[in-house]
Amino acid sequence: MDHIVMINEFPAEEEFTYDKRIRLLKQRKLAQTKEKIEREGGLDEDDYGRVVAPDAFVFEPDPNHADGSYYGYEGWAHNYAKLLGEHPLYCDPLDAFVGRGFFFMTRRKSSLWNPDHPYTELKAAFDEYNIICGIGSDGHFTPDLRMGFDMGWGGILEKLRKFQQVNTTPENRLFYRSEIQVVEAIIAFLKRVSEEIAGYAERERNPCLRENLKEMSRVNLKIATERPGTLRECIQWMCWFSFFSRLYNRGPSGGQLDELLRPFYERDIAAGLIDDETAKFYIACLFLNDTRYYQLAGPDEDGRDMASPISYLILEAADWINIACNLTVRVHDNMNEDFFRTAVRFLFTNKNGWPRFSGDNSLVNGFMRCGYDQTLARKRLAAGCSWMSIPGMEYTLNDLVKINTAKVFEVAFREMTEQEEEPSTDKLWQRFEKHLTRAVHTTAAGIRFHLDWQDQNEPELICNLLSQGPVETGLDVTKSARYFNMCMDGAGIATVADSFAACEQRIEKEHKLTWKALTRQLELNWNDIDGEYLRQMMLHSERFGGGDSLGDRWAVRVNNLFTNLVREECLRYPGLNFIPGWFSWANTLEFGSRVRATPNGRRNGEAINHGANPTSGFRKDGAVTAMCNSIASVQPFYGNCAPVQLELDPGIAGNEEGVEKMVSMIRTILETGNTLLNINIIDKHKILQAHKDPSKYPDLVVRVTGFTAYFAMLSPEFRQLVVDRVLAVNGDDVA
Amino acid sequence: MDGMITEIERFALNDGPGIRTTIFFKGCDMRCAWCHNPETIHGGRDLHDYARNCIRCYKCVYACPSKAHKRIDGEHRFFPNLCIKCGKCAQVCYAGAMVMSGERMTVESVMAQVVQDKPYYDDSRGGVTLSGGEVLCQQAFAMAITDACHAQGIRVGLETNLNKPFDDIAPLLSKADLIMCDLKLMDSEAHRKWTGTGNETVLDNLRRLDSLNVPYIVRTPVVPGATDSDENIAAIAAFLKPCRNLTYYELLNFNPLGQPKYESLSLPNAFAGVKPLPKARMQELLALAREAGIQARADA
Repeated sequence: MDHIVMINEFPAEEEFTYDKRIRLLKQRKLAQTKEKIEREGGLDEDDYGRVVAPDAFVFEPDPNHADGSYYGYEGWAHNYAKLLGEHPLYCDPLDAFVGRGFFFMTRRKSSLWNPDHPYTELKAAFDEYNIICGIGSDGHFTPDLRMGFDMGWGGILEKLRKFQQVNTTPENRLFYRSEIQVVEAIIAFLKRVSEEIAGYAERERNPCLRENLKEMSRVNLKIATERPGTLRECIQWMCWFSFFSRLYNRGPSGGQLDELLRPFYERDIAAGLIDDETAKFYIACLFLNDTRYYQLAGPDEDGRDMASPISYLILEAADWINIACNLTVRVHDNMNEDFFRTAVRFLFTNKNGWPRFSGDNSLVNGFMRCGYDQTLARKRLAAGCSWMSIPGMEYTLNDLVKINTAKVFEVAFREMTEQEEEPSTDKLWQRFEKHLTRAVHTTAAGIRFHLDWQDQNEPELICNLLSQGPVETGLDVTKSARYFNMCMDGAGIATVADSFAACEQRIEKEHKLTWKALTRQLELNWNDIDGEYLRQMMLHSERFGGGDSLGDRWAVRVNNLFTNLVREECLRYPGLNFIPGWFSWANTLEFGSRVRATPNGRRNGEAINHGANPTSGFRKDGAVTAMCNSIASVQPFYGNCAPVQLELDPGIAGNEEGVEKMVSMIRTILETGNTLLNINIIDKHKILQAHKDPSKYPDLVVRVTGFTAYFAMLSPEFRQLVVDRVLAVNGDDVA
Repeated sequence: MDGMITEIERFALNDGPGIRTTIFFKGCDMRCAWCHNPETIHGGRDLHDYARNCIRCYKCVYACPSKAHKRIDGEHRFFPNLCIKCGKCAQVCYAGAMVMSGERMTVESVMAQVVQDKPYYDDSRGGVTLSGGEVLCQQAFAMAITDACHAQGIRVGLETNLNKPFDDIAPLLSKADLIMCDLKLMDSEAHRKWTGTGNETVLDNLRRLDSLNVPYIVRTPVVPGATDSDENIAAIAAFLKPCRNLTYYELLNFNPLGQPKYESLSLPNAFAGVKPLPKARMQELLALAREAGIQARADA
């Protein structure tokens, strides 16, 4: 087997401090990123901590379907066990932990949906409205890692066997047989890992690294079956869970990192096993292993802040390793102000887009409107690019279901101009409402369809193990979760609102343009006579983000309509709680490519607005406050997000006074109704230079949407989007 | 009540404590050679020509009553000497090539923007800054906005050159929550050379400012070759030493960003191409100021 193992890279006499190891690991990480760019090209998504697979490693799955792919419990369990049996080991003696992945099984499949369960009727509407339906999607919820810590893989196996005796339908039997096959493969894999590392330890010539490998081997042998006992064992367990779940289907999010680690940290410190420097090193290596999303601080069940000494160590560790991280600090009324300030300082000094900040009041109060109590609402953690999740308790399809409302607008506009002799914004609105209703209906039906059949397509064999319900009932989490909080995001709110506003202002109020002339320009992509002039006129109408503008008023109306339509679906599908949000993820380019020119001055195929942000150039002063007020006004307010994406210059917090202003700004943004705040700290000159030649800035990390990524790894189109956003609020030195 | 405003900038972080909205008044009674906001000097409306934004639609040619815009050889040409600043070209120039600065605004219309960021002022102990141009050139309007802000519980800071007789300006100054004023040069002749006016009124006002019991910050724009001598900074610092309500003295490095505006207004810029002072030199001057025993800061 062609493992990636870096033993005997250093002379026997070389000595290592943690600081030196971190520096070397960071260099290795940058080289791996460069290799990924060279081999895989631009990737508009998270880093995931992946490395390029050895050339000799080729995994050939065994199909169980006539279409050449594999589906259902047996297909997935068999191929997963087979893959674990063949998967090379990645081992770096500098690292505290072992285990890095190369790919996700879902990315190597020819088909992501079992063709035995077609959804042709739904598909027509999905295509018409450019809906990302979520059917066959996976992994976007949060398993409860504590369950894993409490049981270990041996305990999980025992639990499966225990309930195998209780639930005995054919479907249950299939479930348990498959899950047991997976867990046995995991245990065997971990034992093999331990043996391999023990062999490397014998061959490693450097005594310091040899000792590290010995300990690594011991840790892995222990956690193959037993529950983790020390901080190192706990984090190694987490690294492997990341690996196992990523390998399967990209995997879920992390959880409340400080509280997950705290018991182990406190025990080890009390027993004198580690000091803070060691703990920090372990945590830094966790970040190196994977860019999983974690929350820090926030209120416990009684509203007390959960920030503790290890919360600070986590921030320091992230700063130390200085790579793409996805940490979110939960801001609430009883916030530990010192921790909050510390987090803000790291945001501006590290400049890698972490931490993000989420707003507890809006999230908790919003989720409680779905009928949940405050205790449960507080457990719903920041877990992904835009989403929240209760570890181990809910199934969600978060961030996987999106309706391109700009496309819905296009359909409505075309229908109105074709059928109405005297068009108006009122008539346009009526048609927009009709088509958005149909889009939401169809999307909800798609979600129901997914839940009905996903276990026969791609059961959540890994996440089931750390969720409440599946093991106890013998059913996949898509059928057995305690709560089904089904996310439904809208995309393109600013594009739609600005289009309505431009029509109202220029056609109906100012009479500077007729509907007929506008329609012709849109058909010709603003290339008719005076096309660019009229495009500029529409583009500079009163836009969303302007502050009490026409665009702002239309955006509120669009949000209210969308929110109400999504919530009405809860009545159609009892047991499902549909939660609206506004988020486009990295789909702004793809969504835009499907929408022809729009009345807001947008050309054919140009990107739609990002998330809930206004379009670039929304105000001359690019005022953050105006933008955030506008985004606050379109929060659906049911516990999911319409995030704020902010690009700030590093000089803005260049001294303590500046930091204080940013602390206040962040707190106010979240106290005025916003739910989630993603911030890039980017020098506009640096980003312009990096855009010209990304290879000169291999370590420049940007928060693209909810996720962070190496700027050099993004496609040119996405780099341009980030650059445009930076210039939109920091000015481009022209009028 | 209305006044002439150049622009309103929200989320202003460099015009006083906390998060603020800055209202740039139009019109100034000094002529500082280094001014980086030349569009605020003249009290009337001004037309900017950002030729690089022109899309050659020629709507301005048809809109202009004084034939200041022409189409020549397929290009747009603007003749400022023919312009009567009526703004009709800017009204049809959506591409932003012809931009009018200066708008008569009522107190109500200013406040409609100001109040939108009140939560940010409250949390950060920020507020509104009345800046310029020169606020004291439109005192009644400034007073009305200050009263309107206070009625909403919003603090008001004044940025001013203090170049009006004390008895005339005391009522407005005494209403402010913070005064940020300039002292550019201690030598009156040099002051006259670079700003068009002597500094006697400014110095007199500074001597009497303590009597108002309003905290104030005194600032010097540190301009290469004009205000950046050791002697000037030391003399200003010494002058400020007796000031009881002085919060601190601040050295503001030269701001070179006005050049595109000068070009757009077809105005000569005496400091075109001049760079800000090196950080080390600013620190030297800061140390010099502190030697006088006053609280002092430098922005870069």
